[in-house]
Amino acid sequence: MFAPITLEILVLVLGFALLLAESFSNAPSKRALPKIALFVLAWVFAFSFFTAPAPDTVEPGSFWNFYSASPISMMFKRIALLTTMGVLVMSLDYESTLAKFIPSSRPGAGTGEFYILPLFTCAGLMLMASATDLVMAFAALELVTISFYVQVAYMRSNSASLEAGIKYLILGALSTGFFVYGLTWVFGLTGETHFDKVALKLAALENSDTAILFALLLVLVGLGFKVAAVPFQSWVPDVYQGAPTPVTAFLSVGSKAAGFLLLLRVLEPFLGVSSIQPKVLAVLGTMAGATLIYGNLAALPQNNLKRLLAYSSIGHAGYLLLAVASVGATVTGFGAVGTTIGFYLFAYLLMTVLGFLVLTAVSTQTKGEEIQHFNGLSKRSPFLAFALLVAMSSLAGVPLTAGFYGKFLVFAHAVNAQLWVLVGLGVVTVGAGFYYYLRVVAAMYWYEPTDTAPIHVSSLSKAVMALLVVCIFVFGVNPRPILSALQGAPAKVAAAH
Amino acid sequence: MEFLPWLILLSPLASAACILLFAHRSKALSVTLSLAAVLTAFGATVALLAAGSQTVASSVTWINLGPALHLTIGLKVDALTRVMLLVVTGIGALVHIYSTVYMAEDEGKSRFFGSLSLFMFSMLGIVLADSLTMIFIFWELVGVSSFLLIGHWFTKESAAKAANKAFLTNRIGDFGFMSGILLVWAATGAVGFDAVQQNMAKLTANPALLTLAALCLFCGAVGKSAQVPLHVWLPDAMEGPTPVSALIHAATMVAAGVYMLARLFFLFAPSPDALTVIAAIGVVTALLAALMATQQDDIKRILAYSTLSQLGFMVAAIGCQAPGSAMFHLFTHAFFKALLFLGAGAVIHGLHHEQNIWKMGGLRKTMPKTFLTFAIGTLALTGAPFLAGFFSKDAILLAAYNKGPLFFFPLLLSAVLTAFYMTRLVVVAFFGEAYHPTGHGHSKDHGHDGPAAMTVPLLILAALSVIAGYGFFAEPIFGHDLFHTAHSLATFSAAGVLEYVDAPHVALVPMLAVGAFVLGTLGAWMLYSGKAKDPVRIPLFANRFYIDEAYAALIAGSQEMLASVSDWVDRYLIDGVLVRGIAGLTWGTGYALRLLQLGNIQGYAFIFGAGVVVLLFLLNK
Repeated sequence: MFAPITLEILVLVLGFALLLAESFSNAPSKRALPKIALFVLAWVFAFSFFTAPAPDTVEPGSFWNFYSASPISMMFKRIALLTTMGVLVMSLDYESTLAKFIPSSRPGAGTGEFYILPLFTCAGLMLMASATDLVMAFAALELVTISFYVQVAYMRSNSASLEAGIKYLILGALSTGFFVYGLTWVFGLTGETHFDKVALKLAALENSDTAILFALLLVLVGLGFKVAAVPFQSWVPDVYQGAPTPVTAFLSVGSKAAGFLLLLRVLEPFLGVSSIQPKVLAVLGTMAGATLIYGNLAALPQNNLKRLLAYSSIGHAGYLLLAVASVGATVTGFGAVGTTIGFYLFAYLLMTVLGFLVLTAVSTQTKGEEIQHFNGLSKRSPFLAFALLVAMSSLAGVPLTAGFYGKFLVFAHAVNAQLWVLVGLGVVTVGAGFYYYLRVVAAMYWYEPTDTAPIHVSSLSKAVMALLVVCIFVFGVNPRPILSALQGAPAKVAAAH
Repeated sequence: MEFLPWLILLSPLASAACILLFAHRSKALSVTLSLAAVLTAFGATVALLAAGSQTVASSVTWINLGPALHLTIGLKVDALTRVMLLVVTGIGALVHIYSTVYMAEDEGKSRFFGSLSLFMFSMLGIVLADSLTMIFIFWELVGVSSFLLIGHWFTKESAAKAANKAFLTNRIGDFGFMSGILLVWAATGAVGFDAVQQNMAKLTANPALLTLAALCLFCGAVGKSAQVPLHVWLPDAMEGPTPVSALIHAATMVAAGVYMLARLFFLFAPSPDALTVIAAIGVVTALLAALMATQQDDIKRILAYSTLSQLGFMVAAIGCQAPGSAMFHLFTHAFFKALLFLGAGAVIHGLHHEQNIWKMGGLRKTMPKTFLTFAIGTLALTGAPFLAGFFSKDAILLAAYNKGPLFFFPLLLSAVLTAFYMTRLVVVAFFGEAYHPTGHGHSKDHGHDGPAAMTVPLLILAALSVIAGYGFFAEPIFGHDLFHTAHSLATFSAAGVLEYVDAPHVALVPMLAVGAFVLGTLGAWMLYSGKAKDPVRIPLFANRFYIDEAYAALIAGSQEMLASVSDWVDRYLIDGVLVRGIAGLTWGTGYALRLLQLGNIQGYAFIFGAGVVVLLFLLNK
């Protein structure tokens, strides 16, 4: 048995070790770096099943107060690890495109950090999953965000990548400013930084509703930016399109997962204040509705697959927010909604990483990311076409795929909370989703290819894609393993009674 | 012992799955698998018969949603099942053997044997089912496999159309069947045969509901056993390969309706109205089909109409409260009708796919074995004394006699006509001079007996057509009780020729039956002997009372009109206004939203700031 924090330490050590090795190595090819990283991350992932269970109570004043290893935290850690591994596999396929946009004396030089930076992002995501303290959460969030700034702008001689980097940096800094300001208000109101203590103090405050709401607003702005909720979504399409494709996938899954976990953690103390709860839920519902409409409808006229996936990512944030907005009606509060969001994000990880893997494989050979570049893909590479078909079906929410259960659970919460308008909006936007996701499928299967050369895929990518396809079906038929992992071992619950 | 029914049911399924999924590339392997499956089923049936007459039941849970819905997959073997098992596996085995020759040159031989195995599985499922849900599932599977087999030569337009017609017509009946099952289920809360029987009091308490449920269930039999008015599919189904006609459209599938009626007789018995309707439909079918048969020229179509007519007899027997007699006739009929179809197949095979009886003639010299067996089948069908058909038809006639003259005399007339059209067929096809297009001389190749794989099944079936009516053969299969419900009404069972002679009306019926046979046979002989073309033309009969044309007109009038109205609604209201309207609106909104994406960062920061203000406003409202 390991202490859970060993996992984060292992990832950080791996990152530093690889950075050092890269600096002192003369090897012309950097491909060994991501392979080593993949190998070690796979072991870390395996270790995550053998960590010591979290203690039920944390002693006051203990050093480990900032850290929790609840089942849901462990699940989010695994999501972070799996996403990072998927991104590294994608990066291997992306090498040729990457090298083209990095000015250097030798081809391929200067690409090393591209494979190492995701490790630091991963460590940040994992720490954030366990953070129970505002300061720790903020530090972890910034570790994620800052490493993303570098990765988005990594292709130095590609203007789109640079533009995306600048936009992300400026707007990200703006949102971080709001977020930190919000945290100071929270601290000012309560004098505490630990979430549990903040919750107790907030609930005990009297006649401070306006101040609490203001603090919440500032925090919501910061986190709304991270999860790409309307009206803080404007950066998403440009940054997603401009960033290197593996980074886009990472942003799409990792940044969103971190944002939602933190949102749940931060909201919990605020919703404990019964006088402001209806107002907060109404605002969250409004944001959810606006995000659903914006993400799904603006995706309709897109012709660039990466940009389309960016809007789709906003749309999915809308469904997740819908689950958050339904929290008032559940008996167990954040427990049930947390499980739903965890499952949704896990399914989202599977299908998004799969989609971006195919996108990377195809676009490096067709030199384009427009939907028309996928015309007739079923004839050029039936395997890739099928994998993308599965990813798109799951994103759209076709039954028997993992994406279906994610949406199902979200709608179940919303119906429970009697948010009929939002449920109606959700149904309409799922309909729109079918339209734009299946447009890609139509292009692959019904249109004639302009170029009939078969598309080469490395066997590692192929294996990962096949694994993801299988997982999407397995957890689409039987979601129970993931749900019970999120809720914690049932034996523990039985013992508590 | 419990494994035998499962073995019978599952071996054809295994064969069908293997052939259709894996083995279809090898014709020889497919044929071997299919033959092995049917012989296994037959062997298991014989073992089951040898094991005695107790009821065997075995079931596993399928769907369990509490007491409201607990479905099992269960098999039940009682006397009724044993009779059908023997018919289905026995004739099935002979037809499989015969088909190895008949289909030897066929391109789709593997597909044919795969479908044949699938059919055997479905049919055995109906026979072994122990609940309404099970029987319905296999009922539909029989429909599917029959569709596949009728349409085996699907590149021929007439075959493809016939397959569609059979399937769709059956679906009409099946809809009624399903409604009946749901009614029974709703009323009794049970679907198992035994459970329904135990809860019959709930149904009999409401006679109108009982009659409705019974008639709905009967609809299923009307479709599957091709009774008027859903009889139209069976003659067309003769487009399928002849062994299929013998197995499916003479001995097994069409008998499923009768079997179902006998199986569920406890449901029909308390409703005299339903029984009368059943008897009337049976009598009408028997008579109309016999009339149509007298004017057909295609050898298989004559046999098809004859099958319709005989199925009418069986259904009438159910309506006359004699399910035992119906099953007895089903049993004997299966042998001689399969024999006649296989004989017809041998003729068609020998004459290079000639099916018009007027282009045959003189076959008794060139195909002696076929002629001999065909003649025995004909005699058995027409009710010649001391052959199988005589006993069973007699039992039905007696039941009809007891029901009333309105039922008895049409059936008697049908019996006369049966003798008439069958004698016509034999006289024209087998006697006289061989047909030659120029009118005289002999063609070089005018038929020949098939190889042993064809003639041996014929000989076996011929022997069975002789003995199937006698107690020593039938009683062990039917079991003592069922056999005597069939024969207590009949007269000339070998065991009890004299037992009933002193009862005057009981003696009268067989005498009239013999009279019908003599009259029909002599009439046809005198009319058709030595004729080279049909001396009588009755367009009404030849054109099957114009029923198909009437249906076509009815469908054109009602359904097509309805379809065009639906088409308009779909095209303009649903597609035009609703779908395109909503899609256009959504798309337009999406397009407008896209304009928010200005592309410059000042704009984004402005939207961001505006968002903060809006949220602030909302939170402090």
